[in-house]
Amino acid sequence: MNHFNTVTFVIVIGSFLIVTYIGFASARWRPAEDPMHLNEWGLGGRGFGSFVSWFLLGGDIYTAYTFIAVPALVYATGAAGFYALSYTIMVFPIVFVFAPRLWSVARARGYVSPGDFVRGRHGSQGLGLAVAATGILATMPYIALQLVGIESVLTVMGIGSSSGSAWARDLPLIIAFAVMAAYTYLAGLRAPALIAFVKDILIYLTVIVAIVYIPGRIGGWGHIFGAASAHLKTVNPATGKPYGSLVVMPAGEWAFASLALGSALALFVYPHAVTGVLAAKRRDVIRRNAALLPAYSLVLGLIALFGYMARAVPAVNAGVKANGGNPQLSVPLLFTRMFPSWFAGVGDSAIIIGALVPAAVMSIAAANLFTRTVYKELFSPNATPAQETRVARLASLVMKVGALGFAVVLNKTFSINLQLLGGIWILQTFPAVVIGLYTRWFHRIALIIGWAVGMAYGTVEAYRTAGGGQAHFGASTTPVFGHVTYIAVVALILNVAVSAVLTLVFRRIGLQDGYDETRPADYTADPVTAPPTRAPESAGRAPGRPPVTVRAHRAP
Amino acid sequence: MAKHAPAGKSPATWGVVTVLLVAAILGTLWVPIYARSAPKLGPFPFFYWYQLIWVPVSAFLCWICYLLLRSKPRNRGIVPR
Repeated sequence: MNHFNTVTFVIVIGSFLIVTYIGFASARWRPAEDPMHLNEWGLGGRGFGSFVSWFLLGGDIYTAYTFIAVPALVYATGAAGFYALSYTIMVFPIVFVFAPRLWSVARARGYVSPGDFVRGRHGSQGLGLAVAATGILATMPYIALQLVGIESVLTVMGIGSSSGSAWARDLPLIIAFAVMAAYTYLAGLRAPALIAFVKDILIYLTVIVAIVYIPGRIGGWGHIFGAASAHLKTVNPATGKPYGSLVVMPAGEWAFASLALGSALALFVYPHAVTGVLAAKRRDVIRRNAALLPAYSLVLGLIALFGYMARAVPAVNAGVKANGGNPQLSVPLLFTRMFPSWFAGVGDSAIIIGALVPAAVMSIAAANLFTRTVYKELFSPNATPAQETRVARLASLVMKVGALGFAVVLNKTFSINLQLLGGIWILQTFPAVVIGLYTRWFHRIALIIGWAVGMAYGTVEAYRTAGGGQAHFGASTTPVFGHVTYIAVVALILNVAVSAVLTLVFRRIGLQDGYDETRPADYTADPVTAPPTRAPESAGRAPGRPPVTVRAHRAP
Repeated sequence: MAKHAPAGKSPATWGVVTVLLVAAILGTLWVPIYARSAPKLGPFPFFYWYQLIWVPVSAFLCWICYLLLRSKPRNRGIVPR
């Protein structure tokens, strides 16, 4: 069973306190003249250079998904879980292409979220609302995934899990979450941006030590792959098939590729990833980071291998069994069984902080969406920046409560499904956001109907899939024309097809299209001057280099 | 507001960038390329070391594209690359 270890506990509490201090202190980091502005609270002043952006984006998109959910899938099913590595390899070439355009138009027009952009680009309040609602909905299960990650660490640490009452069991989790909510409320995006430094240092430290230290202790990589292969070949009594395979089988290739591609297309339309992009200071920061962020993908690949390491340690397998066969516990158990207790504390802290940072950014991003696209558009068109910021702060709290709901209600055996479910929804905003960056060929109403069709199909299909002992929302893939495919990709294809056909119809009958408030030059704009509330930052640029002003190219 | 004109890169540059990025994506999207266990690298089946090596490869391809497309202020007189 799970033993409470004082040393581990003290290390974890200590790092939690340090991070909490940084979170509250970050309100004074690069202070703004007017902190009650959504550019400040919601985007950290839009002034992060390559260095800070690397930590923030890395801290933001490599979440408990990376540290808990992916190795859990590898632990249980083998090669199939490595779609996540393929996904994080593919995502950066995709980001490289469209994120700079999104950054430019957002900077030129003052957009803070994908919802703003879509409303302005397509001249459609309805489409903006659809994108905002989808972003908020899709972010909730993703935050819930972070909660599941924290919960699995706490369970292995023996905190709360022995108690019979659900309240006492979840209390430490709720406290950790409430503290995070408090400093996010106060400091906005500055808090996770600073804490991301601590998170990443702990993660890199843990991963490097684990990769160097653990294989030697359990008989080397040959033994690790051997033990994994032996497990994966055994037949699962529940399904009558082997648990998995060490290499993707031809029948699983389609699912593997569509999960990877669908996730890669979805990642940077998630509000939290857009927030990380928009907080960058310069356009080039994003392209440079597309080449530098894969350092985290390497870490993800190594952490995925932790799933196999865990399989090779009999004590971990026993521990997983003793806790109802929950594979989510494999990595925390691996740390406990393999590391001295103080270093297990470091590893556990890394996972907990690694879940808090993205959860904070996600709730901020969803709050930005709500404030600009829902509150300001529908309820208070004349809201002052201070009012906007107040609403956003409250919205960020509501988001966290919603996420708790997802964490309680949905299947936690494979928390990776929480992220994949969010992916099904968020990918339906891809045509309006990403295709919209390039063309306004699609009619605004066609886009809304296409979105609705994709959302409806995706939700119904996800509802109908059983898995992990749950009748509904149990998996994220479904057979389509004989190939098991990620539902998100199928829904996106339907979405685009419906939008295209209806666009032709609407053009034919002369239905009025919306007014595009953006200009072609906005999409390549690269304003040199930092926002006025910001002190100049020199990371990534030659020191002492004077700000360069480029003449505006205007038609005579 | 100061702006760059639409990046004045030649079609050849854009062609090279497109090819590099498509290659970076197809390298792992086309699963049959690497869904095999031989040749092994030490104890690592091909499936694993291929993907792990593809991480720095795709990063390198993105970096080349970044250098190719880097927006240089016109009046600085610095030769790209």
